[in-house]
Amino acid sequence: MRELEDELIERVAEALRQPVHLDAALDVRVMAEVRTRPLRRSNWFLRSRTIRVTPLGALALAAGVAALVLGTAFAALRLRPAPATVSAASAVPFVLVAPEARSVALVGDFNDWDTAATPLRATGLSGAWVVTVPLPPGRYRYAFVIDGMRWLPDPGAPRAPDDDFGTPNSVLTVGT
Amino acid sequence: MNSMTRMGGLALTLISVLGRSAPAQDARLDRLAPDARAPVASLIDSARAAGLPAEPLVDRALEGASKGAAAPLIVAAVRRLSADLGRARDILGRAAGQAELAAAADALRAGAPPDVLVRLREALGVRRLAVPLGVTADLALLGVPADSAATIVITLARSLGDDDLLALQRDVERDVALGAAPLAAAGGMLDASPTGIDVTGAGTTRGTPSAPVRRKP
Repeated sequence: MRELEDELIERVAEALRQPVHLDAALDVRVMAEVRTRPLRRSNWFLRSRTIRVTPLGALALAAGVAALVLGTAFAALRLRPAPATVSAASAVPFVLVAPEARSVALVGDFNDWDTAATPLRATGLSGAWVVTVPLPPGRYRYAFVIDGMRWLPDPGAPRAPDDDFGTPNSVLTVGT
Repeated sequence: MNSMTRMGGLALTLISVLGRSAPAQDARLDRLAPDARAPVASLIDSARAAGLPAEPLVDRALEGASKGAAAPLIVAAVRRLSADLGRARDILGRAAGQAELAAAADALRAGAPPDVLVRLREALGVRRLAVPLGVTADLALLGVPADSAATIVITLARSLGDDDLLALQRDVERDVALGAAPLAAAGGMLDASPTGIDVTGAGTTRGTPSAPVRRKP
């Protein structure tokens, strides 16, 4: 069985080894046939078309696209812009001694002046309140809010040069 | 009909372009009272168009909102800060970043004459001015004459890094809080300087440091 298969393979291989002789005029005949065929534009997108649109349809289309654009823009408006650069943050401790306080919050440029964002923790030692905030390099204005109503600058830091709203702030420079 | 289609396309293009180029209002400004929101947003847009950083202006408006300030007060504060940042940018140049401009604006508000900022910029270059400017402004805020503060900072910044400058500033803050005269306390910063300089005008020149840079524990 195996010998029969080998013999068959050898015969096929021998046939394949024989050179194929083509008619010398084959190329000419093929090209002549090609030239007789009509040129087909197969690209659908390049074909010119006529689109009929009623004025009402055009308005509806414009309104739809405008809604899409404005919706995208509105969604972008709701997003807070990302910082231009990302820098390594330093852990900055803030300490205030306020024995009488029931709560102390830190507010400043770093937390959108949100009185609920950064509460300080009472240490139980001499009325000290502390919090550590990671801050990228930069210059910040800040203050403490005691019991949700009394604003106080950091007694251990320089005062901000302006007092636009009647309660002074402190300034802090964070290096790299 | 073809012209109608073209008109429609033109209208859509205009809507798209206008929608894209309209300045985006920061959502945080929603915290402002309605009568403050529009003028503040307009000031911020103008500042942004002039190449000034918008973030300090947003922060100032939010500060006013958190403090319950009236709308005219908030608008006036944002306008004033925008003008200060513009002055600082005119002095430091367009390469100055947000931190540099904020510190320079503080220094100007603290009474530093513009030529002090020019001296700092020329001595140190605008790229690394944020901390030296901040220290200069803070020293001036502590009561050190701005010119002397700038001289001290320029001298130190040539040999010390930003962190060392800030550590020395904290020492001055502590000394002033304990009752030291601001200029004398600031002059003590030069103990860490390898080159002595007289900032008091008394004719004495501080020499080679006898002690390492002090750091707040």
